[in-house]
Amino acid sequence: MMVKRSEKAKTMRKVIKAIWIFNWFNSCGFAELVPLVGSRWDMERFGMIIVGTPRHADVLFIAGYQTHKSIERAKRVYEQMAEPRVVIALGSCTMTGGMYWDSYNTIKKLDDYLPVTMYIPGCPPRPEAVFEACEKIFQHVKELE
Amino acid sequence: MVKKETEFLKKIKTKFKVEGKVQKERRIWLTIAKDKLIEICKWMKENGYVHLSAISVTDWLKDGNYEITYHLWSYDDKILVTIKTKISRNTPIIDSVTQIWGNNAQIHERELHELFGVNFEGNNDLFPLFLENWKGPAPFRKDFDWRDFVRKEFYNKKNERELVYYD
Repeated sequence: MMVKRSEKAKTMRKVIKAIWIFNWFNSCGFAELVPLVGSRWDMERFGMIIVGTPRHADVLFIAGYQTHKSIERAKRVYEQMAEPRVVIALGSCTMTGGMYWDSYNTIKKLDDYLPVTMYIPGCPPRPEAVFEACEKIFQHVKELE
Repeated sequence: MVKKETEFLKKIKTKFKVEGKVQKERRIWLTIAKDKLIEICKWMKENGYVHLSAISVTDWLKDGNYEITYHLWSYDDKILVTIKTKISRNTPIIDSVTQIWGNNAQIHERELHELFGVNFEGNNDLFPLFLENWKGPAPFRKDFDWRDFVRKEFYNKKNERELVYYD
């Protein structure tokens, strides 16, 4: 029996086949995304793969406290990505500086430094929230065309 | 119980004019003058204290001093010797121990130069370790009000959402 796909899913598939991700994580950042790699939430079933170089990536995931030193590297990573590119910031730390709002060494708002497409709130964000964000990427790319 | 420690302390005291005491088992504290540092450190290394575990700085704001602490470990004696010396807070200059412990000391001195602004004379690479393009004062000094610095640098009082940071 054929699996019936919704109209939304069909159009999504026309726009992009897969989302290739480049990770840029500081501090506890990667711990937030680990469940997505495991078998329970398994992001590869949606075609989300982590790639080794920003030149192959469509999406840049940034999580954790960015320091003055690491944000310069993050900018360089972003510049290497091909268009259309999307930046997704995970967690409360990228939005407000989080726990280290008064630290001299961390940046407070990521959108002062990089054009953030989407913020995913939470500390850490739920895996479902990350999936929803990726669903919105498909819409976003459709709007870009 | 602390026999070997007492003996070693006695050995140092006959050689140099230092204050010191056996803190407890396997721990000796020494207080020395800063111009004697290199001489004593060289002697310590010759006597088996080959491992420089750490260098640390304590900021004594009221006294106007930095206290620099060297932690030395001997694999033969199994004693941790803590050498303390005081330098002025306003002109923090001290001889580098990289000539004795090499790269082992290098990374500690580089960090302390960044965080406290201590100048280690004779260390040829004191390039900042973590802070790039840092314009403020040395951040670990006790008179550095980091919260005030952050408010000026990152936040805007006119922004309604950021008012909470000014409470």
